[in-house]
Amino acid sequence: MIEYLLLIPLIVAAICYPLRRRALVEAVAVTGSAVTLLASLMISYEVFTTGTLDEGLLYMDALSAYVLLLVSLVGLLACIYSITYLRQEMEDGEITELKLRNYYIFFQLFVFTMLLVCVSNNLGIMWIAIEGTTLASAYLVGLYDRDTSIEAAWKYLVICSVGITLALLGTIIVYASSIQVLGEESNALNWSTLWANASSLDPGLLKISFIFVLIGYGTKVGLSPMHTWLPDAHSQAPTPVSALLSGVLLNCAMYGILRYHMIVSGSPLGAGFSGGLLLLFGIISVATAAAFIIMAKDYKRMLAYSSIEHMGIIAIGFGFGGFWGIFGALFHMLNHALAKTLLFFGAGKVLQRFHTKDIDKVHGLIKVLPFTGALLLGGGLAITGCPPFSLFLSEFMIMVGGLSSQSYLGTILYILLLVIVFAAFLKHIGGMVFGEPLEEITPKERRGPDVAVMGVLLVAILALGLYVPGFLNEVLDQIYRLFVPGGGA
Amino acid sequence: MAFTTTTIIDGLAAAILLTTFIAIASNRMFSLVRLFALQSVALGLLAMAVASVTGAAHIYAVAVLTLGIKGAVIPWMLLYVMEKIKTTKEVEPLVSIPLSLLLCGVLTAVAFYITEPIIFTSGTITTITKNCLAISLAVVLIGFYTMIARKKAVTQIMGLLTMENGLFLAAISVTYGMPMIVELGIFFDILVAVLIMGLFAFRINKTFDSVDTTILRRLHD
Repeated sequence: MIEYLLLIPLIVAAICYPLRRRALVEAVAVTGSAVTLLASLMISYEVFTTGTLDEGLLYMDALSAYVLLLVSLVGLLACIYSITYLRQEMEDGEITELKLRNYYIFFQLFVFTMLLVCVSNNLGIMWIAIEGTTLASAYLVGLYDRDTSIEAAWKYLVICSVGITLALLGTIIVYASSIQVLGEESNALNWSTLWANASSLDPGLLKISFIFVLIGYGTKVGLSPMHTWLPDAHSQAPTPVSALLSGVLLNCAMYGILRYHMIVSGSPLGAGFSGGLLLLFGIISVATAAAFIIMAKDYKRMLAYSSIEHMGIIAIGFGFGGFWGIFGALFHMLNHALAKTLLFFGAGKVLQRFHTKDIDKVHGLIKVLPFTGALLLGGGLAITGCPPFSLFLSEFMIMVGGLSSQSYLGTILYILLLVIVFAAFLKHIGGMVFGEPLEEITPKERRGPDVAVMGVLLVAILALGLYVPGFLNEVLDQIYRLFVPGGGA
Repeated sequence: MAFTTTTIIDGLAAAILLTTFIAIASNRMFSLVRLFALQSVALGLLAMAVASVTGAAHIYAVAVLTLGIKGAVIPWMLLYVMEKIKTTKEVEPLVSIPLSLLLCGVLTAVAFYITEPIIFTSGTITTITKNCLAISLAVVLIGFYTMIARKKAVTQIMGLLTMENGLFLAAISVTYGMPMIVELGIFFDILVAVLIMGLFAFRINKTFDSVDTTILRRLHD
């Protein structure tokens, strides 16, 4: 059943290939993304209500279903937004019609690889899928023929490939520890088998393996100091792709680390070893991001650093552990995906209007682009963790997690850094939204589906902040129980 | 029998390390690619030897794939890219060759030092190929070094491929290779990665009129 879901984006990409008319390609791509979301909803509903689906190489538990839903949801939103955005790019002569079609094809392939990451049981296949995300999205990052976008795409390819090579070493070592216990069986690299037998795996090998995996997949997550590709790729990619990279690709890579974290937590090492490393890298990432957000000159780069910050926050949450730490980190994955998508969409509108990424050259958005300006301000307040937005709630939960796990130093640093980011980020966003436009730009805004998508996103993070629906609570609780050793199986 | 096969395996592993060192010492682009092909052939033969001892069919398949894809297809693709972009024939290292050799010697020593307890004392790994683990780590580290210390886009691809070969040797030495489907996927990924990186090397060449990656310095904070 899971394989049908994986087939959808591949089929859509194949249908797009011979098409020549722009409108047709767009229609097929959006319909395809909608069908993917629908299928993900159905399959996830089944997982949430009836429990784990195990089909050998493919496997879905509540965590897979959750990340799967994030991927297909943001995938659909980014696809809808792409239509207006890329039409404008074509009018401006930035891309050709052929590139537009290729864009949608690679977009679907990219979504396919991310879906595969979420549903693969075999850790080797998960590695292949994560490497696949790099290969599929490299074209999207380097879509424009500018020197800067080629540079960004090259760095992205090289840094992420090297990082992920180290993760392969980690995977090999985990396999070595597994065949000692299980013998050379075909399921010896399956996550479900490893998880069930975690307590008998060799702790020494698991330790080395987790370190390699954390550094390898951590490169893709954007954990500092392996984050250097991220600001370049996010700022040079077309905006809908930036949203997809930031909102879900990073979560997918984090998902890879979490799978290993769960195995290590179940082993004699306990959650302390891998959790401690996650906490350490999380704090370093938030600190690095805070420094660069203060000095930010380019608003797309600033959003990229904010993604590093939020991935750091999620790592910190899982590092603290305990109910609130894990629950908060999971909730934060959703919140960050929604809020960052909103902000990148807003940034895209600003870029097409002002033709600059320079923070100092953009003022008076609220006059020039009233809707986008208001939505960006709302998104800015949300991403920095202002109440009543849902990010406040999840960041607060993580703080409670830190206090209840008695990592006081970590909690203090966490709060301090969040305050710094809050001030710096809002200063930049405030300067862009308010004030007088530098030159006479007629206040006229096209209101297409892109603005509607942004509105929906803002309402969603506001609503989630006021009230966490029962089913979401139930789902997050289900995932939390997977993290407690012996709680699932 | 077991004794002679182990000798052959260790000899081939030494040959792999040797090709890596010659690659560091060489300053001709084309010989780099040929050395990579030679290294892959040694790796394929090593896998063949392991397969003959263990009798596992999937290792034979992997050995054939290594010989075919890494020994022939990928080198051919790289030579094609280099012909097309008419790159100069020199490697243009950022770090001089004698110093590089010295550093790689240090890296090899480090690799042997790190893996020594895993190979000899802990007893967790019981494969006949466990001696190769040190060499595999050394090859991974030297590949990594190549990516840092060489300027050209194609040499960075070569560094990545060398790292992959090292990892492949690691997989053979600690677990007799990964499950078949995973091996196939990894081969596919490497092939696509080289293809895409080759295409980007074209584009870098077209846009900047050079494949020197040190000019990629526009994006910064």
